[in-house]
Amino acid sequence: MTEIKANDSVFDKYADAETLKRIVSYESVSEMWDKCVEMYADSSAVADNGSDYSYMDIENEASFFRAVLLSAGLKRGDYVGLYAPNSKDFVVSFIAITTLGMCAVLLPPQLLKESVFGCAMKFGLKALVYAKALEGNLALIKEKKPSFPLLCADETVSGIVGASETSARKAGVVKVSRDEPCAVLFTGGTTGPSKGALLSNGAVMCGTKNGCYGYKNVFNQRYLLILPLTHVFGLIRTLLTSLYTGSSLYICRNNKDMFKDIAIHKPTLLVMVPALAEMALNLSKQFGRNMLGDDLRTVIAGAAVVSPYLVSEYKNLGIDLFPGYGLTESANLVSGNPEMCREPVSVGFLYPGMSARVVDGELWIKGPNVFTRYVADEEENKRAFEDGYFKTGDLVRFSDEGLLYIVGRKKELIVLSSGEKISPAQLETEFNKADCIQDSLVYSVFKNGHETLTLEVLPRAAYFKERGIADVKAFVSEELGNINGTLPSTHRVNEIIVRSSDFIRTPSMKIDRAKNTPASQGASGKAEK
Amino acid sequence: MTRQEIFDTLKDIIGSALERTDNMKDVSERSDLRTDVGLNSVGLLYIVISIEERLHVSFDDVSFNDFQTVSDVIDYIERHQG
Repeated sequence: MTEIKANDSVFDKYADAETLKRIVSYESVSEMWDKCVEMYADSSAVADNGSDYSYMDIENEASFFRAVLLSAGLKRGDYVGLYAPNSKDFVVSFIAITTLGMCAVLLPPQLLKESVFGCAMKFGLKALVYAKALEGNLALIKEKKPSFPLLCADETVSGIVGASETSARKAGVVKVSRDEPCAVLFTGGTTGPSKGALLSNGAVMCGTKNGCYGYKNVFNQRYLLILPLTHVFGLIRTLLTSLYTGSSLYICRNNKDMFKDIAIHKPTLLVMVPALAEMALNLSKQFGRNMLGDDLRTVIAGAAVVSPYLVSEYKNLGIDLFPGYGLTESANLVSGNPEMCREPVSVGFLYPGMSARVVDGELWIKGPNVFTRYVADEEENKRAFEDGYFKTGDLVRFSDEGLLYIVGRKKELIVLSSGEKISPAQLETEFNKADCIQDSLVYSVFKNGHETLTLEVLPRAAYFKERGIADVKAFVSEELGNINGTLPSTHRVNEIIVRSSDFIRTPSMKIDRAKNTPASQGASGKAEK
Repeated sequence: MTRQEIFDTLKDIIGSALERTDNMKDVSERSDLRTDVGLNSVGLLYIVISIEERLHVSFDDVSFNDFQTVSDVIDYIERHQG
C-alpha cells in the first residue's frame, strides 16, 4: 500500500499572487452566493434564451423562489427534486433550494416518468421543482401521490417576478454549515447501476474551488455551458466555478447551436468531454477556421480519456487543453493538469487537501470534496468506504513527482487463463499514443479454442486525409505492431482489428466495453468481479 | 442540388463524422443512421452542424432524433434547400 498526500502548493506557481488571494474557502453555497452577489452584483451571471441576468437579477428571482419553497411547507434539510433541462430557471431553482439549507436532488431531464416517480420515492423527496416542458413525465406522481408538492420552475419564477413583484414575498439566504447536505447527483453507472451520491455543502464548495487551480485566467471569464447541469462537470466545474469566479455563463440550450453561441458569447473557457473537443477540432479542420472562436484560451476536458493528440492539436490553435480526473463522488475533480502541461497522458496532481492510498493498484481517496454516502444504498456504502477512504475502483499509479496516471478500472481487469491480470485501459493508453488512432479497445476472447488478446482500433480519418495515405489498414497495422513489440510479452495483443466505424458508446461518449466485446467461443478470459 | 448530389455530400459528411477512411459503399439511402451507419449522439451532432454550414439548411425547428434513415435526411434537405 502506498500513501500519498497532496502537495497543497503545487498549483501556486501557475497563477499570480492576486489571483491566489482570491481563491478562498467557503463553507456552503449560501456563503459563496452571498459573497458573489455582494462582489459582482451588476456583472453578468447568466445569459439564457436571449436575455442577460446579473448576479443581482438571479438573487432577486431566487429570493422569490425561496419564499415559494417555504410557503409550500418545506424545511431546512428536506430533499427537493430538481427536474429541468439547462436553463436560467434551473440555476435560480438550485440556488434557492440550496441557500435555504435544503438538498437538491438533480434528476436528469431524460428520466422517464416511471423513473421520476421511483426517484421521488427512493430519495424521500418532499417536493419536486420541474420544468414545464417535462410536465408530461409527472403523470405517475400526480396519479399515485396527488398531494405531492409539484412546483413549476418556469411559471413560479416568471409568474411571481413578472406579475406581482412588489407584493410577492421574498426570503433571504440562510447560513448553512459545511456538513449539511447540498446535492444528490447520479453517478454515471459506467460499471453498474447508477447511484445517487450525496454531496455536502463543504464537498460542493471544495470541488468548486478546485476548479480554480492550475491556470492563469481564473476570474471574470466567459463560460459556455454545454454539459448537463445534472452532471457533476456541468453543475460544479461549469456553473458553480463560473459563479465563484464572477464569470458569466452562457447557456447553450441545444448543442447543435454550440458554434453559433460561441460566435455570440465568445467564451474564454470551455468545459467539455473529449469527444466534443475532438468534434470541434475536426469541424475546424473541415471548414478551415477555428470554430471555437479567437477568445478561447482554456479547455477543461474530463469524464473520459483525453488523448495526447488532442492536447497538442489544441496547443496549435493557441488553446490550453487540460486533462483532469474526477468522479461524481469527488464533487468534480480529484486531480488536474496545470498550465504548461508536460505530461498529457497523466491526469495531473491531486488537489489541495486530498489524501490518497493505492491499495493493490486501486485508488482510495479522502478529502473535503469526497461525498458523504450513496443515498438509500447501504450495501454499496459498505463496499465503497474503508478506513475513512472512498475506494474509487480505478487502477492508478503515481510518478515520483506526484503526477497521477489512470491505468484502468478494477472491474475491467482481464484475467487470462494463465492467471495473468491485464488492465485493458493500460494497454489502450499505449496504443492511443499513436496519432493515427482515435480510440481503441482491448479484450480477450476465445477463438477456435485459443485465448486471443484482441485490439480493435478506430483510425483517425483526418490523419490519413492530411497525409494522403490510402492503405489505412496496412499503415495502422504496422504502427501498432511496432508499439506491440515494445510491450512485455505477456501483454502483447494477438490480433489487431482496424474498424471502419465508431464503437458503441455510453452517454458520456466512453467506449461501452460490454457492448463492444464479442462473446467468446468457449471458455474465456473473464473480467474480474 | 440534385438528390444524388445531396446524397454524395451527405456521405462525405458522414465519412468525416465517423472518421471513416473507406469509400462507404455500404451506405445507401435506406441505411438506418444509428444501427446501420453507426452514428452516435456526437456523430449526429457533427452531421447537423456540417449540413447547416455546407448546405445552409437549418434544423432549428426539428429534432435530429426524428430522422431514422439517410433518406429521411435527404428528403428534409430537398424540402428546405434555398
